[in-house]
Amino acid sequence: MTSEKSRSKRIVARKTPGGRVSVRRVARKPEAAKCAECGKPLKGVPRELPSKMRNLPKTAKRPERPFGGYLCSSCMRKLMVKKARE
Amino acid sequence: MIEVGRICVKIAGRDAGRKCVVVDILDDNFVLIDGSTRRRKCNFRHLEPTAEVIKIKKGASHEEVAKEFEKLGLPVWNTKPKPSSERPRKQRGKRKKAGQEGSGKDEKKKGKKEPAVKAEASKDSGKEEKAESQSQPPEQEGQSSEEQQDGSPQ
Repeated sequence: MTSEKSRSKRIVARKTPGGRVSVRRVARKPEAAKCAECGKPLKGVPRELPSKMRNLPKTAKRPERPFGGYLCSSCMRKLMVKKARE
Repeated sequence: MIEVGRICVKIAGRDAGRKCVVVDILDDNFVLIDGSTRRRKCNFRHLEPTAEVIKIKKGASHEEVAKEFEKLGLPVWNTKPKPSSERPRKQRGKRKKAGQEGSGKDEKKKGKKEPAVKAEASKDSGKEEKAESQSQPPEQEGQSSEEQQDGSPQ
């Protein structure tokens, strides 16, 4: 177990029910998923810990379209247009 | 470019990459499409027209489009209506009666009832006996009956 003071956790100030502000250490979230083509952060892909992602349904983890969760919508459209014109 | 009978490729959404045909033009932006995609309203900006045009009537039915697509050798998206399945309903009374547990309970109830009747009969008989033998006032009957029941097995 990592110590509470390690840098692997994020410091968050939380107000307790008694009105005191205490410091909490919260696990860091992974980086947002990015488009393989343009590198923009993908929409519709939650930024959650793997333990939470495992419990999410498949449809909640990526958009329901070809290349969903891999390419952003605009890059996918460009690809589809390219394919259609071949 | 966009006209009735034009074969297009859908480039956005769930059906992206599938071929479809324009069945109807609804207004400046929207058309009705059918074919390898679902039969649906679609923005023409979400379509990439191809060079092919097939002869179909404006507002052709899905069957007509399916025939034309079969000639071209393209797959057709058939939307099957879901088979209507009965809703699972909570059967409170029926289940108990039908199940083995219910029948068991019924048996128990019957079993309980019979001895109770017997007991009552025995009590009655006891009372009668008492009434005959001792002829006590009705206020003390309860006590006396208890005494008798205790005493009777001995």
